[in-house]
Amino acid sequence: MFARSCSVLCCVMALSACGDGQNDFGRPQGKRAQPVQLVLLEDGRPAPEVLAEEQVVYRGNGEEPETLDPHLAQGVPATRILRDLFEGLTAESAAGDLVPGAALRWNISRDARTYTFYLRRDLVWSNGDPLRADDFVYGLQRAIDPETNSSAARTLLPILNAREVLAGELPVEELGISLLDEFTMQITLTGPTPYFLGLLASPVAFPVHKGNVEALGDQFSKPGNLISNGAFVLTEWTPRVSIVLEKNPRYRQAETTLIERVVYTPTEDRAAEVKQFRSGALDWTNEVPNNQFKWLQANYPDELVTSPWMGSYFLGFNLTQEPFIDNPSLRMALILSVDRQIITEKVTQFGEKPSFALVPPGIDGYVPFSPEYADWAQEERDHEARRLYEQAGYSEENPLRVEIRYNTSDNNKKIALAVASMWKQALGVNATLVNEEFRVFLQNREQKLVTQVFSAGWISDYNDPYSFLEMFRTGHGRNDYGYSNETFDALLDEVGTERVRARRERLMFEAERVLMSDHVIIPIFTYVTKRLVNPHLKGWQNNVMDHHPTQTMFKLKSSEMSSAEKNP
Amino acid sequence: MKQAGVFRHAAVRLLGLIPTLLVLITIAFFLIRIAPGGPFDAEKVLPPEIRANLDANYHLDEPLLQQYFRYLGQIVTGDFGPSFQYKDWTVNELIARGFPVSATIGGLAMALAFVLGTLIGTFAALKQNSVIDYSVMGVAMLGISIPNFVVAPLLILGTAVYAGWLPAGGWDWSWQRMVLPVVTLALPVVAYIARLTRGSMIEVLHSNYIRTARAKGLPERQVIRRHAFKPAILPVISYMGPATAALITGSVVIERIYSIPGLGSYFVQGALNRDYTLVLGVVIFYGIVIVVLNFIVDLLYAWLNPRIRYDEAQ
Amino acid sequence: MPLLSISNLEVEFETAEGVVKAVNGMTFDVFEGETLAIVGESGAGKSQLVLSFMGLLAENGSVSGEAKFRGEDLLQMKPRELNRIRGRHIAMIFQDPMTSLNPFLSIEKQMTEVVRHHQGLSREEARAHAVEMLRAVRIPDPEERIKQYPHEYSGGMRQRVMIAIGLLCAPELLIADEPSTALDVTVQAQITELVGELRKKTKMALVLITHDLAAVAEISDRIIVMYAGEAVETGTVDEIFYSPQHPYTRGLIASVPRLDRISDDELQAIPGNPPNLLELPIGCNFRDRCSEATEQCLERPPVWRATSGRTSRCFQGIEGGEIVNE
Repeated sequence: MFARSCSVLCCVMALSACGDGQNDFGRPQGKRAQPVQLVLLEDGRPAPEVLAEEQVVYRGNGEEPETLDPHLAQGVPATRILRDLFEGLTAESAAGDLVPGAALRWNISRDARTYTFYLRRDLVWSNGDPLRADDFVYGLQRAIDPETNSSAARTLLPILNAREVLAGELPVEELGISLLDEFTMQITLTGPTPYFLGLLASPVAFPVHKGNVEALGDQFSKPGNLISNGAFVLTEWTPRVSIVLEKNPRYRQAETTLIERVVYTPTEDRAAEVKQFRSGALDWTNEVPNNQFKWLQANYPDELVTSPWMGSYFLGFNLTQEPFIDNPSLRMALILSVDRQIITEKVTQFGEKPSFALVPPGIDGYVPFSPEYADWAQEERDHEARRLYEQAGYSEENPLRVEIRYNTSDNNKKIALAVASMWKQALGVNATLVNEEFRVFLQNREQKLVTQVFSAGWISDYNDPYSFLEMFRTGHGRNDYGYSNETFDALLDEVGTERVRARRERLMFEAERVLMSDHVIIPIFTYVTKRLVNPHLKGWQNNVMDHHPTQTMFKLKSSEMSSAEKNP
Repeated sequence: MKQAGVFRHAAVRLLGLIPTLLVLITIAFFLIRIAPGGPFDAEKVLPPEIRANLDANYHLDEPLLQQYFRYLGQIVTGDFGPSFQYKDWTVNELIARGFPVSATIGGLAMALAFVLGTLIGTFAALKQNSVIDYSVMGVAMLGISIPNFVVAPLLILGTAVYAGWLPAGGWDWSWQRMVLPVVTLALPVVAYIARLTRGSMIEVLHSNYIRTARAKGLPERQVIRRHAFKPAILPVISYMGPATAALITGSVVIERIYSIPGLGSYFVQGALNRDYTLVLGVVIFYGIVIVVLNFIVDLLYAWLNPRIRYDEAQ
Repeated sequence: MPLLSISNLEVEFETAEGVVKAVNGMTFDVFEGETLAIVGESGAGKSQLVLSFMGLLAENGSVSGEAKFRGEDLLQMKPRELNRIRGRHIAMIFQDPMTSLNPFLSIEKQMTEVVRHHQGLSREEARAHAVEMLRAVRIPDPEERIKQYPHEYSGGMRQRVMIAIGLLCAPELLIADEPSTALDVTVQAQITELVGELRKKTKMALVLITHDLAAVAEISDRIIVMYAGEAVETGTVDEIFYSPQHPYTRGLIASVPRLDRISDDELQAIPGNPPNLLELPIGCNFRDRCSEATEQCLERPPVWRATSGRTSRCFQGIEGGEIVNE
């Protein structure tokens, strides 16, 4: 009996003990190989001799993608994969710049409402069928067709009649999309929409293979079924295990696409994702946990990458309830007494930029509004805050009691705690923290009955400040602040029709100024993306949209020298 | 006679399952609907046209009671419907993919825990109050009290990140990827079974029939294995019903840490996303699994314990 | 040479309250084919006495002295050596048949394992032998009943099974520890009778442990009367019954209902309780309950032995006997 118990134990140990350092599970820590120096050819492509033999990328991808139907997908994990699988009329470079995609060129009418696209002539689907303008027309129509049930279609509302079609009031043929000839199509918009070309590079505007969709119905996006037109094709999809793409030999740029295979792995747990990266199973993580930042900075300096992102984190006021209704002084006092420097340096610690306005910098050249107090020292701000606080009728004897509400997350909690203690210190405010499950929180925000101060944030869908400003419009579905200002709304209306870029930017700047002067939000910081990337993986660039098509990536081989150094 | 009793017993139990499940379905259905928010509520609000369209297509615009009966009518055919969240998959597909993974991990963990736990418990009982006993049971207590979200990362760091023996996570049905999750899942159960076994084994070893067996001149090994083991593991068998159900329905923590595509995470994700069909499908499936497992344990218990077998036949 | 020779055997138990001396220097022999009864109230140490040399004491018990079976000291044997003797050469029947059989194993398994282990019989041979033995203890329909489990047997039937198990290997010595105590009165007699009968048939020696002096009168050759871990009197059945020497023995006999007594008035139990083994009284252990005690009894009483070999531990002595120890 005991002999047997021993053998079971030994067996377990043997299970874990087999294999030595060299194995299938990646490179163990401490033996990290260094890549060779990158050498570029004259045309900007990497020299073949520096490339690794195996051009396979393993990318951590966050949550399991909800779908690979380009017209239904909304989440970042799904759209990231779809950008590898498909190509829109326009596309994005590694740096996030807009470049021609399936359309070789386009014309925009004088009123900036009509776009005419001229497609490349040699395009084919991954199954070899020719890809023509009617495929794009069909794609856009399908995305907006109420039958398709797409939530993502909301971003296509600038297209003429899209709203009516979605509401079932007009047939899908009435959309402002027309086929001029086999290679030419025209899209008419309700108003000038400068970011529209950028929208066309997103999955909701991708074409789908009509014959395939009609034959297979909701099964068309499964591996083996999905026909795409991008740099890669879908070969495997095991839910919550991996999604495998392989190079599409029929893609127009197949010759310059170096990566042969991309493996997207869902990584729900950030700490687990980092461990997988450290064990060599991933080349690219979706994120890194905040609490490991310092350690990673010290131990993985070459791998840790942070970069500004087109998102803002702020706290919102509920302007429809006490104590903030008609009380700009109090709101301003609370805005001023938050020390953003401390929050980004001591609390979030990821190189987030302290923020004093709504729109993050770096979005399509827009320079955000900056209030006067942005240049003050924190002491000055606190001083002014105390003055306003007292002006609003509060004092040490009669302190403000307020709730900070946030959806359950470590980061939200830390920030709320920091803000509460800053208010306490500067003004003597008694703030309590309330955390709620995400959807409960959203509902409370929307109902505007119990909220006072609440955490908010916005990561834009498209590269345009309008995406941030829009939700403060009177009656907007996400206007959880109860903000309503006719001047602001009028400015936004003007933005919608203004087709001169510089004028439009000035209008948006003015709108942002109005909004900030009304003290609706407490800006905290603008987001950064943060991830670990295998130093062998090159061909990608940081950009505010955090779009990183695999198409431009490649893998360097390991340096001989570094292995010689290891074993002198 | 005894066979017939067992079959009749099984039939009664399975019939008794139907009202239980109906109650379960009803409670689950209305509970998830009471929860604030719906499957289409997100930070980025939908334009009303789109929202109305979605609600109509998913029948969310109907009165709740009508939706309830629609759902009942649907699941009678064994169809749990499409997932709201994972739009390319039906709930049946997701369960069919998730459950085998959870069941494999959980089943192996239970098997490992049973073998190790009973052996350790027996060993400790035989060396009762010795240093070995105290150290083995001390380690077992640690096994119970250290949560697996602490154990798992340590195991990953040791075996995957530093040694590189095993993968840090992921799933492909290879034994290498099963080792860590199975061990992590089994540890607290090993400890618990060891404690149960030790206690009951000590009690059994003091019983008169063990003295009889020893007086027969049987070797101690045979006394333990043949005479003491079966009665000593009876409490373990009773514990195994609910424990196995808990293990094979998937541990969310284990699934996240080891990136395993089991059933547990679907349940949690489904609840967080208000994925009504997924949550209900998983709940009903869990219900069936738990009832079936308890039934199997009852049979096993009867098989081990002749007195119960006798009563059944009466 | 005696079959079993016990000398100076002591059994102690470590308990939370202190050391309990359950058996205090027992010395006696068991000869081939004879029936020896060990009689005493419960707590006198008779069960612990036999459990000790069978290697069946509880974990907190320890034994010293000698217990030689055919010249080999059982107390010095390793478990493996002891297992060659137990069940095969010395068999034992316990006082509680309800709990002494394993409820989880069939009667067949509990019987055949003995002969398969000790004699290396095949499954079929073992089974046939076991059926034979069940028949010998008068279990009706043994071929069928052997398949059953203990809970399907009555108490008396279970004890018969225990006896059958004891006899499986035709042991030279059978120890029966109160085999009938837990049973109905009618069944008690049957069992005792059965044991005596089987002993005669098989010529094995029998050690019968009982608190009931009367029950063993018929079948015993010799009797040892135990009190508080010691033998207070030994002798043949006739000696013990017709001329008891020790006041305790006389008390025991007086408490036995007999046909030749006129009325129940004369039937009297011994007053008081056996002494606390943690704190034995000074002098004679029986002194506190003894109607004949004197000043002298504050000393430890000597053991007297008569020429016939009978002994008594009392200052009263035995006529024609001599003191063999001090």
